[in-house]
Amino acid sequence: MIDVVFSAQLALAAIAAGAIYALVATGLNLVYGTLRLLNIAHGDFVMIGAYLAFWIFALLDYGPALSLPLSVVAGILLGLATYKGLVSTLTQRRAHSERLESNSLLAFFGVSIVLQNGTALLFTNNIRAYRYFDQVITLGSMSITGNRLLTLVISTFLALATAAYLRFTLFGLATRAVIQNRDASSIVGINLPRIYVVSLCFGFSLACASGVLISMMDPISPIMGFGYSISAFVVIMLGGLGNLFGGITAAFALGAIETYGLAFAGSNYRSLLVYGIFVLVLVLRPEGLFGKSQANR
Amino acid sequence: MSKVLSLRMLAASAVAVAFMACVPLWGDDPVVGVGINLLAWVALSASWIIFSGLTGYVSLGHAVFYGIGAYVTALLWLSVPMGVSVAAGGVAAASLALMAGYPCLRVRGPYFVMLTFGLSQFVKFVVIEIETALQIGGRLIMGAPPLQILYWLFLGMATAAIFLLAVIRYSRFGSGLRAIREDEVAAETIGVPTVKYKVLAFAISAVIPGLTGGIMLMRSGYLEPDTIFDPTVSLTMICIAVIGGGNTPATALLGSLFLVGLSETLWVRFPLVYMVLLGCLLVTFVLAVPQGLLGLLASLTSLVHARGGK
Repeated sequence: MIDVVFSAQLALAAIAAGAIYALVATGLNLVYGTLRLLNIAHGDFVMIGAYLAFWIFALLDYGPALSLPLSVVAGILLGLATYKGLVSTLTQRRAHSERLESNSLLAFFGVSIVLQNGTALLFTNNIRAYRYFDQVITLGSMSITGNRLLTLVISTFLALATAAYLRFTLFGLATRAVIQNRDASSIVGINLPRIYVVSLCFGFSLACASGVLISMMDPISPIMGFGYSISAFVVIMLGGLGNLFGGITAAFALGAIETYGLAFAGSNYRSLLVYGIFVLVLVLRPEGLFGKSQANR
Repeated sequence: MSKVLSLRMLAASAVAVAFMACVPLWGDDPVVGVGINLLAWVALSASWIIFSGLTGYVSLGHAVFYGIGAYVTALLWLSVPMGVSVAAGGVAAASLALMAGYPCLRVRGPYFVMLTFGLSQFVKFVVIEIETALQIGGRLIMGAPPLQILYWLFLGMATAAIFLLAVIRYSRFGSGLRAIREDEVAAETIGVPTVKYKVLAFAISAVIPGLTGGIMLMRSGYLEPDTIFDPTVSLTMICIAVIGGGNTPATALLGSLFLVGLSETLWVRFPLVYMVLLGCLLVTFVLAVPQGLLGLLASLTSLVHARGGK
């Protein structure tokens, strides 16, 4: 058992799981941080990305080289549509903005049901999968399938690119300013609606891109997104809502907990583990591991 | 108090309950079945409104009380009298709410919503694990009362839930709960015991789903952890309240009528279309019709009155 704990193989699996969670959760966090909207449908955008990749592979025989850029385009379009149809109403009306977070949760819950069942209507409830680049690659004592390695590389790249965007570009800095203090950034002349649209498109694109990566490794189905929504929420609650860098740390923590937990307890306990952590974190430290205390009483 | 419990309202409710009580006498089994669905949703949504509608703390996990009620009833089935096992389900739901209430209700807004959801999923998977460990694929519930009796039990539940909501809403307790919804800090400052009220309301609103779960178990005759803790149950309660609009007894009645009508026409033949439509309705009502069907109805009647006045 001890050699399992210290094996490089398990560590690699934990990192690979963490990288995916980081990517999915960063998108969710960006949307929550800037717009204060709880997008419970986030995982369903992952699902859309996965179906896009599946059909591009099945019909055109192209891998992520085509589906990844297309998924980003899809994410941008979905972001624009969501902004036009949903977000602008939610944020502009006074009656809504008072209960924005609860209302956004309910509205996105509706969106999630529509996306899941709409996909099931179009493509049936069947579980689908395709084989892409699944040769085993051996690196020293570790072996990993090619698609997992590719996923690790691409998601690390995307996470770094997001971090660089937020750190070094003017627009990224403005985005972080909005996350920190919306009113103050509006006063210093940051165009809030533009930040909203871009963050929404950015977040959705990350979700769709994660879906492309996930579809290379795991089977996909219309209800797959739900699990990713929950994991992403666990991650951003752990890292603190709106705290992007805390979220990335938390994503790797969740990846590790899950991978090591499953190695010991068996895969039956996966849901129990994820929801157990989720409830514990919310009860004990609702402000997240790195956040300031916000709970009342 | 006087507003709801006026003699006219009481008389009208008595007539409505008496009418509903007669349905099994002339209706055949399918009609009674639809009636049961309607009454169950009235009971569930009214108890959701008692807590979430009045306090503004949106619970996304009320299915947990429904599920735990059904589960406890199944565990005790035939080892104690039927009534006792169903009552134990209600007690279990209330105890769970009391235990979970204090830690859960410390957090507000999005945290609370996510927590109720997480908790209900967590309990669901705990029950699934227990059942798997015991190697029970599902429990058969034998010797349940006939459909008519169950119908009257559901009618009792629905009436009790509506009555409870009406009484609480216009009581001092209910005003306290609504004060919490408007501004919790202000409510506390003027002397509303917010923590006590919130936990109490949470527990009260858990009892009826707990009992309803037990009775529904007798109706289905079979226990499967996946179905009794189905998040769709929580979702439907919320949809009824949002579509109904407001937080009155009429909300639960109108919303349930609308939703059961929709599901009876669509669910059986086109379950996916029904779900898509449900999602669209939720989005539409949250965004465009926050006052709900009740609000629409009210503005319609005032319009008619204005026309009539000319």
